[in-house]
Amino acid sequence: MKRSSLTVFSLTLSFVALVTACNQSTTSETSQKGDGKKLVIGATMLSMQNEFIVNVHDEIAKKAGEAGVELITVDAERSALKQVEQVESFIAQKVDAIIMNPCEVEASSPAVTKALAAKIPIINVNSETSVKPSAFVGSDDVESARIAMKFIADKLGGKGNVVMIHGYMGQAAQIKREQGAREILKQYPNLKLIAHQTGEWDRAKAMSLMENWIQSYGSDINAVFAHNDEMGLGAVKALTDAGLKNKVVVVSIDAIPDGLQAVQKGTLDATVFQNAEQQGAKAIETAVKIANGQPYEKEVLIPFQLVTKANVAQFMK
Amino acid sequence: MKNALDTYLKPVRESYNTRVRRLGKVGIVIAFILICLALSLITPRFLTVSNLMIVVTQVSINALLAFGVTFVIITGGIDLSLGSMVAVTGVVAATFAHPDTYPVAVPILAGLASGLLFGAFNGFVITRSKVPPFIVTLGTMTIGRGLALILSKGRPISNLSDSFNFIGGGQLLGVPMPIIILILLFIVCAVILNKTVLGRYMYAVGGNEQAAKASGIRLSTVKMAVYTMSGGLAALAGIVLTSRITTGQPNAGAGFELDAIAAAIIGGTSTSGGTGTMTGTLIGALLIGVISNGLDLLNVSSYYQQVVMGIIIIGAVVLDSVNQPKN
Repeated sequence: MKRSSLTVFSLTLSFVALVTACNQSTTSETSQKGDGKKLVIGATMLSMQNEFIVNVHDEIAKKAGEAGVELITVDAERSALKQVEQVESFIAQKVDAIIMNPCEVEASSPAVTKALAAKIPIINVNSETSVKPSAFVGSDDVESARIAMKFIADKLGGKGNVVMIHGYMGQAAQIKREQGAREILKQYPNLKLIAHQTGEWDRAKAMSLMENWIQSYGSDINAVFAHNDEMGLGAVKALTDAGLKNKVVVVSIDAIPDGLQAVQKGTLDATVFQNAEQQGAKAIETAVKIANGQPYEKEVLIPFQLVTKANVAQFMK
Repeated sequence: MKNALDTYLKPVRESYNTRVRRLGKVGIVIAFILICLALSLITPRFLTVSNLMIVVTQVSINALLAFGVTFVIITGGIDLSLGSMVAVTGVVAATFAHPDTYPVAVPILAGLASGLLFGAFNGFVITRSKVPPFIVTLGTMTIGRGLALILSKGRPISNLSDSFNFIGGGQLLGVPMPIIILILLFIVCAVILNKTVLGRYMYAVGGNEQAAKASGIRLSTVKMAVYTMSGGLAALAGIVLTSRITTGQPNAGAGFELDAIAAAIIGGTSTSGGTGTMTGTLIGALLIGVISNGLDLLNVSSYYQQVVMGIIIIGAVVLDSVNQPKN
């Protein structure tokens, strides 16, 4: 008796979950493709737990709705294997185009190969794969770190001690942001990287790390470069608590709403704006163009912008 | 019935006491002291009041989770949903913690209630089905993560009131609030485990479930209690974390369950159930915190930090099994 009631309970639960899950795909009845069939585009996103990715996706969904495209979104949950399987399932569904926000440079590449082999256009958004897709929409991560580190160099007059908080080690964004930062460091021999460590993109982890660094380097630290705003804000919190924020320059990347607010308040000195909306909008635009057989650009690079207190207002919604 | 119960519980209590003595003799305490000693010799930055305050503050979140999972492991169970509960409760608390909305008690109570409810749900499914706790909490781990994302719409919830941020960031008489919360809950948990009937029942259930059942202990009540308490403690951890970083993060706490379980195991809690102490768990958590802090002070790469942590976990269990009296 007990068991059967539990079974009924769990079945009901899974049913409810299923119904809710099905609600995710965005549909619109308005416009249609030339031959009278509505365009269907599949999108697989790196992780819908990441605010930036959610913003990219929201714009894709919004523009898809406006264009009357049926969008099927799936979350790869940071697993390249899952992502490849999702693309396989898009191919089986015979979608008109695929938008992929790749999990990994190498491991997500088979998805591109498979889509191209099935003659379905595939557009990479935000990050790259080693196999070239039909089109790429995004920004060059190396450039964002160059902008951030250049800001630090200018602020410190090319001289001082810097610490760097890495993203998740080995991920494309982390590798490229480190590369860009080191390129600039090389140009300023008096700018010393005294410590660097991963904060795993996480605010709490970066805060603990910064607290520990403050213990070991104290006021020797002149600047912090964090690979994303979450970690930058963690560093700001630790520095503020230690009463050191006024003496240390903190710069990070992404310009998430919290980051922008901190820049406006003056606690975060600068962030680098990576335009999630533009990336999303251009991705779906390109996908529709290819699916309709219109001319399109193979590579759409959305420029980064440095955000400081002086220009933060124009980035805030 | 009462007599049968007492005669059963007596040996359990004794083996627990011998265990405490053994713990004092070797193992974790010595390891902890040695590592602290080594660190203070290597770097003068380690043994300072401000650094130690920071270590304990950083440890507080993991320790709260570890206290809860110690209860659970003593009864022979496991709770993998801790990290997700941290996220859910943090998001729930943050939702009610915006300035000029509710008094600070509301986010605290809401967060706590959501944690207790989540824990009770774990307990409910575990006691009403025959599904092992590992599987049930593996499931609720995913459910919890999903709920946190649903409740927060996948975005961090920021702009929290100063009074709420005081919980994780404030100080009372120069002592950071997380440390005060940690000490209070350590006392509460140690009292529950050592001085109450419920505590004794936990050891009994974990030591020998069938015997405990035969001597009249209601297994489901004890299990409901430990999972609910684990949820409550996870909620406190979630509230402290949210307040410390001044945002409710739906992806907070990922993997925290492993650190908490590691703290309990390093502290001498046996995964086969029936043994474990709050003091051991506290030292286990402190040890993890001290090592991570020390390696950061020495600027050791996080790659090596992970290797070191793994060695310590295995080492602690090996040490424990060597000390186990041979039957």
